[in-house]
Amino acid sequence: MAEQTRKPIRFMYTFKFASGAEQQFNLELDSSTLGVRQQHPNPKPEWARLKFSQCENCPLGDEVEYCPVALNLASVVETFQTFNSFEPVHVIVETKERSYSKDTTLQKSLSSIIGVYMVTSDCPIMDKLRPMAQFHLPFATSIETFYRSVSMYLTAQFFLMRQGKSPDWDLRKLVELYKAISTVNKGMADRLRRASEKDANVNAVVILHSFGDGVPYFVEGGLAEIEHLFTVYKESDPESVLPTSQQKSS
Amino acid sequence: MPERILIIDDEETLRLSMKARLDVAGFTTDAADNGEEALRKMKEQEYDVALLDIKMPGMGGIEALRLFGELFPKTDVVMLTGFADFSTAIECLKLGAKDYLVKPVDATELVARLRSLVRSRTSERALQETRRRFLSMIYIDLLGPLKSTRESLERTLKATHSKLTTEQKEELTNALSLCEKMISRIQSMDEDMKQEAAAELERASR
Repeated sequence: MAEQTRKPIRFMYTFKFASGAEQQFNLELDSSTLGVRQQHPNPKPEWARLKFSQCENCPLGDEVEYCPVALNLASVVETFQTFNSFEPVHVIVETKERSYSKDTTLQKSLSSIIGVYMVTSDCPIMDKLRPMAQFHLPFATSIETFYRSVSMYLTAQFFLMRQGKSPDWDLRKLVELYKAISTVNKGMADRLRRASEKDANVNAVVILHSFGDGVPYFVEGGLAEIEHLFTVYKESDPESVLPTSQQKSS
Repeated sequence: MPERILIIDDEETLRLSMKARLDVAGFTTDAADNGEEALRKMKEQEYDVALLDIKMPGMGGIEALRLFGELFPKTDVVMLTGFADFSTAIECLKLGAKDYLVKPVDATELVARLRSLVRSRTSERALQETRRRFLSMIYIDLLGPLKSTRESLERTLKATHSKLTTEQKEELTNALSLCEKMISRIQSMDEDMKQEAAAELERASR
């Protein structure tokens, strides 16, 4: 187990285009910190400077020269800056445990990889989603993403409770967090619009924004979309997770 | 009745998320993944507003906007784009788009924009109704009396022609000419209304 935790978490993204062209990104995360293990481009792109297009709610000060999210995204963004969002692509994502593949659009597949780069970038706002990187689910649907977000957040509350702190079981602060994340996504879309010739990168962030924008609705709606899946818990004895023994008929 | 919104975007995630947000806000929504499918849906069903993505494979948003304007002028179109471009925005507005939104758009902002558009549609419809009632009133209440006045003036001029002074003849002739001008103006307004109605019928039958 200890050895396993030392090994980096790896997501190998391969984009195969109809033209035969292929692009590969080896996304490696430090298994302890979940930080991205990669060399930033040298020289760093101008559009990655913090002041180039700082998010409205960015807490970083003048002492920070480059936006951490932009720096993490630099190589992906520069690779796809001349691509259209609706370009069809076959994407394979390989991890140590399994591989995923999908015929999809470039914007959808880019949103998948960009999402990981964003939450592992050290951006003080996106950082709260960092634990999700360990359980990254390529090509996730909205409902899968909502579920992973809520699960991650509730797990965090469990740990807070164990530390004797006040957990937020009502998910009120999760709504607040996602509103802040929506602002970051909008800021990043503005930045990438200025850094790209075509719309693939921007629309990938637009998709991430649509997930984030949906979380408050999902939470405020009482997780209604998935409530029926938990009937077995709702109808059982709250004191016991296992079924109570039934009296045998004679 | 809730306003009907057609969401046209090639990206399923965005269609579904906009649909979910707008449904919660009380709109009745439908979605299409390209311009061709949108046209098919608009032939089957009248929509108040179409949310139209600009960059889509196949029929793009600009081409679809042109066709919507010709075939479904009653549907207001709001353009959506991930890639803001001033000249495209101007082109869209010239082609009749009511608004131009740069993605990503927060659900709250989208709902607010649509509500504002719906309010202005309601005011526009009220204004058109007032105009129609005003024209009908002019046609019914004024045209008949004006025609009678014209006939009276014609009869009077004919019957009293030899007894009138030059000045009196001139006055009657001027009054008759004024009457004819007003009748002709009202008739031409009525003709415009009929043509508008015929064009609307023709569009509806396509």
